[in-house]
Amino acid sequence: MSVSRDTIVAILLLAFCGVLWHASYDIEITSYGTMPSTVWPRIVIIAIGVFSALLLLRSLLLREEETTEAAPKLPFLKRYRNAGIIYALFLFFLLTLPTLGMHLGGALFVFLALTALGRPSPKLIAVHAAIAVVSIGAMWSIFTFGLRVILPQGEILPI
Amino acid sequence: MIIENVLFAFQEVFHWKNLGLMVLGTTAGLIAGSIPGFTITMAVVLTLPFTFGLSPVEGLSTMIGVFVGGLSGGLMSGMLTGIPGTPSSIATTFDGFPMARKGRPGLALGLGVWSSFFGGIFSAVLLVSLAPSLAKIGLEFGPWDYFALVLFALTITASLSGETLVKGIIAGLLGLFVASVGEDEINGVARFTFGSETLESGFDFLPVLIGLFAFSQLLSDVQDTEKARQPLMTGVEAKGVRVEHLAAIRTIFSRWINLVRSSLIGVFTGVLPAAGGSISNILAYDQAKKASKNPSEFGTGVPDGIIAPESSNNATAGGALITMMALGIPGDVVTAVMLGALLIHNVQPSPSFITENPDLAYAIFIAFFLAHFIMIAMQAFCLKAFLLVVRIPMYMLAAVILSYCAIGVFALNNIQDDIWTLFVFGLIGYAMKLLGFPLAPMILGVVLGHVAELNLSRAISLSGTGEQFLLDMVTRPWALFFLIIAAFSIVFPWYQKARQTASWTLGYLPALMLCLAVPLAMMDGWPRTLIAVVLALGAVYLLVQSARRGWSVSTNDAA
Repeated sequence: MSVSRDTIVAILLLAFCGVLWHASYDIEITSYGTMPSTVWPRIVIIAIGVFSALLLLRSLLLREEETTEAAPKLPFLKRYRNAGIIYALFLFFLLTLPTLGMHLGGALFVFLALTALGRPSPKLIAVHAAIAVVSIGAMWSIFTFGLRVILPQGEILPI
Repeated sequence: MIIENVLFAFQEVFHWKNLGLMVLGTTAGLIAGSIPGFTITMAVVLTLPFTFGLSPVEGLSTMIGVFVGGLSGGLMSGMLTGIPGTPSSIATTFDGFPMARKGRPGLALGLGVWSSFFGGIFSAVLLVSLAPSLAKIGLEFGPWDYFALVLFALTITASLSGETLVKGIIAGLLGLFVASVGEDEINGVARFTFGSETLESGFDFLPVLIGLFAFSQLLSDVQDTEKARQPLMTGVEAKGVRVEHLAAIRTIFSRWINLVRSSLIGVFTGVLPAAGGSISNILAYDQAKKASKNPSEFGTGVPDGIIAPESSNNATAGGALITMMALGIPGDVVTAVMLGALLIHNVQPSPSFITENPDLAYAIFIAFFLAHFIMIAMQAFCLKAFLLVVRIPMYMLAAVILSYCAIGVFALNNIQDDIWTLFVFGLIGYAMKLLGFPLAPMILGVVLGHVAELNLSRAISLSGTGEQFLLDMVTRPWALFFLIIAAFSIVFPWYQKARQTASWTLGYLPALMLCLAVPLAMMDGWPRTLIAVVLALGAVYLLVQSARRGWSVSTNDAA
């Protein structure tokens, strides 16, 4: 028996509501104010729960149709390869931001993203490097000198 | 006083720096709108980080420039390649592309550009005349009414923005939840922080918005490796194309009824929360076809098929601004971003916005007018820029724009945590898109979450008890009015699907009219009572007509 994508999403949403409901007991109840701070989030959580249950019901009733629709055209890894690469590179950029700073980290992110997504050729690698340096340099200059924003400097090149 | 405010606003808008920013914004909008996969919303979202360093007038003028430019930019790629640059130009390609293929690309572009211009100016006139009056009505709202209005905005967004209503509502509710994370505005109590100090201040609206919309959109754009490596467009033949301005203006004036009707459709669609240019251009095209003496010619390159969608999509912008300025509720995602820009400058959008910030309000009016003139002036230049930009592969644009997102988000508050927020919500937005959840309701939920909670708290406080609050919600005319249209907007997707097949749909409109007559009759002043009577009589007339036809859907359609 296959389970449709919506069924899994609805179950995950219901579990998420459970976690949030449990977390709502950690909210402090103050002696002041007419409406306690728990009221609004709990209304929202209940509503999410109700509609997630409806989604679950709907997905179970339309299970066959949904599973056919959800059939991917490409293998999973190939389909989400680029998104995965970009996320991994962005995570790397974020983790190294205190060390590399916005200029070096940003240029490295753009260069690696371009090289990973583009065709692998020496000529293109040079083009990618140029794009990375010029684009980040231009943005860094606009924000630093034009908008007076002090971007993260990094430890390697503290400017 | 009004003249003083108008003069001050003129001075601000026509300052050389502001004019330069508007030219830049409109040009960027025209180019961004012409690139398929690069929506107007994304262009406006990406403009946001620049606006924090500008004055409110400069920031909003720039965004209005991008908005107007984007609405008009979509027609270039649609007409020259058959691929619409934005969803608001889909119907333009139905006749614009055939006309260009028949050897009249200059006339097609001229019709598109000038229809956009006239539609925009038409809506600007309505914006100036209607927004202050609507704002006066907005001042009548108590917290109950405002809370009901937010509910209506969320339900209609959910019902219009996706195929599945349930997913739309869940997305809106998730947005409301995101807005409730962190220190609560009313009692100052931390919520859902899970012990993290970072979460105590909650999620800033702008990194969430940029993550949900721009980050996730760019990832979707590069999903297909081969497509991402190709130039954005190939086979664009536009060298030597000259826009036929005079011939286009003459043709539009000879079809002024279509222009006015389509512009009105655009304004009305824009006023509705969440219904944007992507809906109005198709509605206007459909109405133009129905009203035409030769409907069979539509799709072959007739001028009416270009005038209708292009005038309506630009008029939508004026409609969306009316709702934003008069009620403090975004008319679409773009105006939701503009509300965010106002918040950056500590301007709280509300029904009293026009009376409390007249200089800024009049500046928005003037900037909206001016943006249309700039759009006309920049169109020829942008046609050339468009031909250059479409040679760039999407993966190059995506990588550079992603890094810009990171810098822009950091610049808003000078906090690295905001880049983490961008990253997390980029992932959430991408996953939601893959799973078929529309993002517009979530964005509206994030924007309106605080407003909803604040007004709920005030309403309960004024009502005294929960029971009295519920009673007030159904006995206060405006609250009841919004609750009724919220309920009908939930049913709307089913009505839309079954409209030509099920007989129950014949009762939808009369029922809505009858229900709305009740709160209108409860309001003070004879004009509203008169409207209530007209609505009730209209409903009875429709019901009698349907009963005479034996509740037959097909007979009704034929009639």
